[in-house]
Amino acid sequence: MWGLEPSSRKTASSRDILSIVTLSRIRNFSIVAHIDHGKSTLADRLLALTGAMDPKKAVDQVLDSMDLERERGITIKQHTVCLPYRARDGQEYTLNLIDTPGHVDFSYEVSRSLAACEGALLIVDAAQGVEAQTLANFHLALEAHLTIIPIINKIDLPQADPEGTRRQIAEILGLNPDDTIAISAKIGTGVPEVLEAIVHRIPPPPGDPAAPLKALVFDSFYDPYQGVVVYVRIFDGRVRAGMPALLMSNGRVYEVQQVGVFRPEMRIVDELAAGEVGYLTAGIKRVADAKVGETIADANRPAAVPFPGYRDAKPMVFAGLYPVEDTAYQSLRDALEKLRLNDSALTYEPETSLALGVGFRSGFLGLLHMEIVQERLEREFGLTLIITSPSVRYRVVPTAGETVEIDNPSKLPSSGEIDHIEEPYVRASVFAPTEFMNPIYRLAQDKRGTHRSLEYLGKRVHITFDFPLAEIIVDFYDRLKSISKGYASLDYEFLEFRPSDLVKLDILLNGDPVDALSVILHRDKAYEKGKTLAEKLRAVIPRQLFEVAIQAAIGSRVIARETVKAIRKNVTAKCYGGDITRKRKLLEKQKEGKKRMKQLGKVEVPQEAFLSVLRS
Amino acid sequence: MTPGAPDLKPSQTGPLGVYLHIPFCRQRCHYCSFNTGPYRPAAMERFLSALLSEIDLVGEARWAGGVSIGTVFFGGGTPSLLEGDEMEAVLNRLRKRFTLAPAAEVTVECNPESLTRDKAEGCRLAGVNRLSLGVQSLDDDLLARLGRLHSPVEARRAFNEARAAGFDNLSVDLMYGLPGLDLARWESAVGEILAWRPEHLSAYALTLDEGSRWASEGVAGLPDEDTVTAQYWALARLARQTGYEHYEISNYARDGFRSRHNQVYWRAEEYLAFGPGACGFLGDVRYGNVKPVERYCAMLEAGSLPLGTHEVLTPGQREAERRILGLRLTDGVPLPWLKDRRPLIDTWHSLGLLEIAGGRCRLTEAGFLLSDSLFVHLL
Ligand SMILES: Nc1nc2c(ncn2[C@@H]2O[C@H](COP(=O)(O)OP(=O)(O)OP(=O)(O)O)[C@@H](O)[C@H]2O)c(=O)[nH]1
Ligand code: SF4
Ligand SMILES: [Mg+2]
Repeated sequence: MWGLEPSSRKTASSRDILSIVTLSRIRNFSIVAHIDHGKSTLADRLLALTGAMDPKKAVDQVLDSMDLERERGITIKQHTVCLPYRARDGQEYTLNLIDTPGHVDFSYEVSRSLAACEGALLIVDAAQGVEAQTLANFHLALEAHLTIIPIINKIDLPQADPEGTRRQIAEILGLNPDDTIAISAKIGTGVPEVLEAIVHRIPPPPGDPAAPLKALVFDSFYDPYQGVVVYVRIFDGRVRAGMPALLMSNGRVYEVQQVGVFRPEMRIVDELAAGEVGYLTAGIKRVADAKVGETIADANRPAAVPFPGYRDAKPMVFAGLYPVEDTAYQSLRDALEKLRLNDSALTYEPETSLALGVGFRSGFLGLLHMEIVQERLEREFGLTLIITSPSVRYRVVPTAGETVEIDNPSKLPSSGEIDHIEEPYVRASVFAPTEFMNPIYRLAQDKRGTHRSLEYLGKRVHITFDFPLAEIIVDFYDRLKSISKGYASLDYEFLEFRPSDLVKLDILLNGDPVDALSVILHRDKAYEKGKTLAEKLRAVIPRQLFEVAIQAAIGSRVIARETVKAIRKNVTAKCYGGDITRKRKLLEKQKEGKKRMKQLGKVEVPQEAFLSVLRS
Repeated sequence: MTPGAPDLKPSQTGPLGVYLHIPFCRQRCHYCSFNTGPYRPAAMERFLSALLSEIDLVGEARWAGGVSIGTVFFGGGTPSLLEGDEMEAVLNRLRKRFTLAPAAEVTVECNPESLTRDKAEGCRLAGVNRLSLGVQSLDDDLLARLGRLHSPVEARRAFNEARAAGFDNLSVDLMYGLPGLDLARWESAVGEILAWRPEHLSAYALTLDEGSRWASEGVAGLPDEDTVTAQYWALARLARQTGYEHYEISNYARDGFRSRHNQVYWRAEEYLAFGPGACGFLGDVRYGNVKPVERYCAMLEAGSLPLGTHEVLTPGQREAERRILGLRLTDGVPLPWLKDRRPLIDTWHSLGLLEIAGGRCRLTEAGFLLSDSLFVHLL
């Protein structure tokens, strides 16, 4: 007793609580919403109210623990936390909360989180109303047969419209308007009601603690000290250290080393029993060995039927990653390998470019995912990278032979060998106030979209389109936001491959094609794109000792041409005693800048040149 | 020496250069970013005695007695504001503390308006044997725009008086790329100056250096890059036709009259520096004195060296400086110094920017114009 810190006393008592929980006192739920509607902020409030977080240590969106999440103010990975809660009925409950990302690139994180739950808090921003991912996530929750608690958030905002939002929830989602809870996650209004609703509306988990172990892996991450840490939801039975764990998909057996819960830091417990959510470690070396969707059983008493498993998150967007300095290839490989440990959606394989040397063709879920990977590679691993223009995966049906899939424009066979090319289409769903319909239709037309459906929802519309994926990965979302003053929202999912009139646009510098700058695009857009590309390159390629001709060409036909004039003079007129140090420092600085330049033949091309292709 | 101060000591055995900075002008030119302030006789007097004590202080170093001085350069500021006897006092102090080589080149920078016949003779008596005259332009209104105090007529007068005083080694400073200066006017100015037959000519394209009035306020009418380039070529052509060697990016000389002092810099040789903001190079240390005249004087009056900044060069930096400075001269550098830059040298060679002959590598006149694009790769 003496010397016990208040916090460790609390630890002891909460561990006691944990050991006496029975199934009826457990609630497992995810928080889902459109991006920025306040999921992580609500999670903060729930942590604070249940005492899981010391208010003095609290920071905003405490579960967003990655640096990048904190900087960008968004959630990228799901975050799990176990909350002890004494309800108004006087009983102690264990609430397992899973906060999910809202961005469409990471929607697979949502589905896997839902699989570990019986309920979902569906948050809707009272100032924004129902948006595209509100609907998408609502459907995911329905498909997972979860109890949904609709929550209207941000009612403290002056522009909040809780009544209108309640109507939308009823009309668009078909939920009972009386079931909504209006809250402000920021200032805390209504949050106690959310906790009570979780206890009373979400059913306790089913399951039998006495049955053979059956646990679902819903996430994992790699820890350099403990190996893979596996997030599990126990459906039947119990798991404790020392047990032989069988991974049912591959038949491998590992000895469980540690089981625990997230509070939100990892805390060891004696065991996890049916209905509970937590983690285990078992000396698993690679994340790929304990895939999301895996069923874990007791090797001595295997469960009968495994879970159906998960489809892997499939990359949709591909780009070449090249180190600016050729010598950094090995470091890039090591860095990608490390990132991949925790990011199973990231794929990469070696590729060579005539222009850029050796690098990796990498696959991403979307452009945000790509940016995040690039940022982490540069920041955490000190690499300087060139990223080639992102491409989708095309199906090339040749005049003779097998259909091939290509994700690198420079690999496209010559037009004579191609019968036709197919490109991936997505079904996109757009929510917006009615007044923005016209510009949205214009944008859709510009992006080769075909209209599918239109639904009026009071002052707003829900429109669906089919788009070539290639048209919406780059600047579609930004343009949609800007033409709708930020009010339109977008969600999309893969639909099918469809034949298209596609061509390859090449960029030539002083007559030499630069493979890394080639893009595949629709014939009707090639001229416009070739022109803007050439112009952009002219703007970013610095003047050199000789004239640089920039050409955009389809096959042998040049469709646009620009020139970067040769530099006339670059000289320091005066360099006497006092000037020497200053001069050398200046040159040293310029040399530093040159590190971001890639030598293509004799032409020096800055890293931005590749970015400008990406952004045009 | 104060703690943290570098160990200043020459490493070369040959004679050193000496740079003396005279930090006063009657009026600040609009393009000027040098360390200079308004001329006041009292300030000059205080500065001069500080300068002498600086020479004494450095002269106390154990190595000083053995050092021979091959060149002396009074720069500024406006050194021609000094009287002949003041220059003499400074030179005598150098003689006292070091060994001034009998054939040492001793240069004084002069502004035409302060170079009278008497002043020129005083200089000669003091032991000065080379004058560098800041003519800059032969255009009345351009000189006024630059904020200079002299007229073209005065410049010519000063040049003639220097000759009459017996100076057989005269240099003229000119500027091109000036606002409103077109090619024709430039060519006629260059033609006229060359007809004066100075032994040496320096010509600089205008740069808007930080700290100058024009850099902060901007200036209208600057010629475009093509015009400035054409002016460079016009000068190069006219100088060649009249027997001048284009021996450094901005410098031309008649046979045997290259600036010996400035070649110390470009050959990365060592030199001592005295005066506020003056920069020296000894051993592997580049150092600079404090810039404000007031602080400079105060430090010396308190008996301490006015050292402001210093940097110990790494062997790599020394090598880089040698290459970069050496290539400013038409003599170039020994080819082996560039042996690890083969593809670069080949490209420059193929573009006619660089020549290889007699085991040396040197920039052509076209190469001079683009030299910084090469130097950045030679660090
Ligand atoms: N005024 C107000 N702002 C709120 C409220 N809840 C959240 N916010 C703000 O909304 C922004 C987004 O909040 P987050 O909690 O990060 O949203 P999220 O849904 O987790 O976002 P993603 O994880 O990126 O999808 C932040 O700036 C919050 O401070 C609220 O009740 N009132
Ligand atoms: S004379 Fe020289 S130092 Fe003096 S202000 Fe003019 S340019 Fe500057
Ligand atoms: Mg979040």
